[in-house]
Amino acid sequence: MKLYRPATILVGILFVLIGGLTRLATPDQVFDEPNMMVSDGTIGQPLEFGKEATITVVRMQLAKSVLDANSTSDKKPIETNGVYVALEWETTPGVDKPDNPQPTLVSDGGVVFNPVPFTYSGLEFGASGFTVSGGIVFEVDPAELKGLTLQVRTGQLWNVLNRMVSVDLGIPGEESAQRLVDGAVEQYVLPERQTRVAS
Amino acid sequence: MESLDDVIDDLIADRVIRRHRRTWLIVIGVVVVLALVVLVTGGWKQRVGRAVPTYDAPATVAAGRWEFSFSKAEIIRTPKGEYSAAKAELRVYFDVRNIDTEEHKSNQVDPDVLRMVPGGGKELVRSNGASCRGESSWVIVYGLPPDSCFTKFEIEPDFTADQIEVGVLGEQYISDDGLMGANEDPYWHQPKAAAVVRLKPTVVVKDEEN
Repeated sequence: MKLYRPATILVGILFVLIGGLTRLATPDQVFDEPNMMVSDGTIGQPLEFGKEATITVVRMQLAKSVLDANSTSDKKPIETNGVYVALEWETTPGVDKPDNPQPTLVSDGGVVFNPVPFTYSGLEFGASGFTVSGGIVFEVDPAELKGLTLQVRTGQLWNVLNRMVSVDLGIPGEESAQRLVDGAVEQYVLPERQTRVAS
Repeated sequence: MESLDDVIDDLIADRVIRRHRRTWLIVIGVVVVLALVVLVTGGWKQRVGRAVPTYDAPATVAAGRWEFSFSKAEIIRTPKGEYSAAKAELRVYFDVRNIDTEEHKSNQVDPDVLRMVPGGGKELVRSNGASCRGESSWVIVYGLPPDSCFTKFEIEPDFTADQIEVGVLGEQYISDDGLMGANEDPYWHQPKAAAVVRLKPTVVVKDEEN
């Protein structure tokens, strides 16, 4: 039997050409994470996060020092070399609770800020049918306030379709950033979590 | 009766064996002498010592995504109380700055990054991260000036030392091997020894806790 008939060789060459053509067809603009659906919004907007779950940033406050609501009376507020950005939020879970949301602040300059390690400085979802409200505090470099965005994502272990919430905190430029820093309160008391029936 | 061939064969064999006898004897002698020399001078030993530099405090060490400026160390003793056993802790004070030029991300100092070197072949002691401004595991922000922090090492209640050594490890910004399907994006992990800092601890006796 003849192993390499001309037809066999032609089919081989054809496959190589098809391989090359598919590479030509890849789009110029590729998302960094093609399996990520982003809900964009601003303060006050309920933004979808996962199955029917929503996250709303209610208020933003800049502060020079913070105090945990559950801290003892003799505890002093914690000062900063930069500025604290406190966000108050409300979350409503959908049919099932989105697991472990991880909030970070990202600036236009590409600097990423993690929340300060207080007990109540975080974002969480309650049981189905309940709205949870609370606060989260970030220590931020005042030079990096421009374009500050809250990003909430889940720990992505599997390559499945994921949701991300991106909240523009409305600091378009240096001027508005400076105004916010000037208007920072002396002390911010981080509120405790509150749960109520979702309306 | 022996033939002449046999006699000649014996003669040649004798010659062949004797031809290199002296060389062999010399080689064996040299090996024996070398072995004796190595034995007398202490034998082959594994290289002892460290591959990283050692500094005396105050010292500044940049390792991975952190820059530490070590200042002092304290052994804090709590004497035996009526209801509590005596205990001690070793605190190492430093200023830490976030120099994460890869991700520009604020983060907590990993407890594995600072380790006490007890010496004498004992295992390294993990720290408890960086406590700053009265909070443990404080988040250090990229771009802000250094924070004054300390880290704590677990020690025996009767621990004494004129000098302690703290190993500083730097995490590496590398990716995992994608061969088995892991994500190939680099991230900070796998701390590698960067330097050792020597500090002279002062002893502080804490008042008995009531």
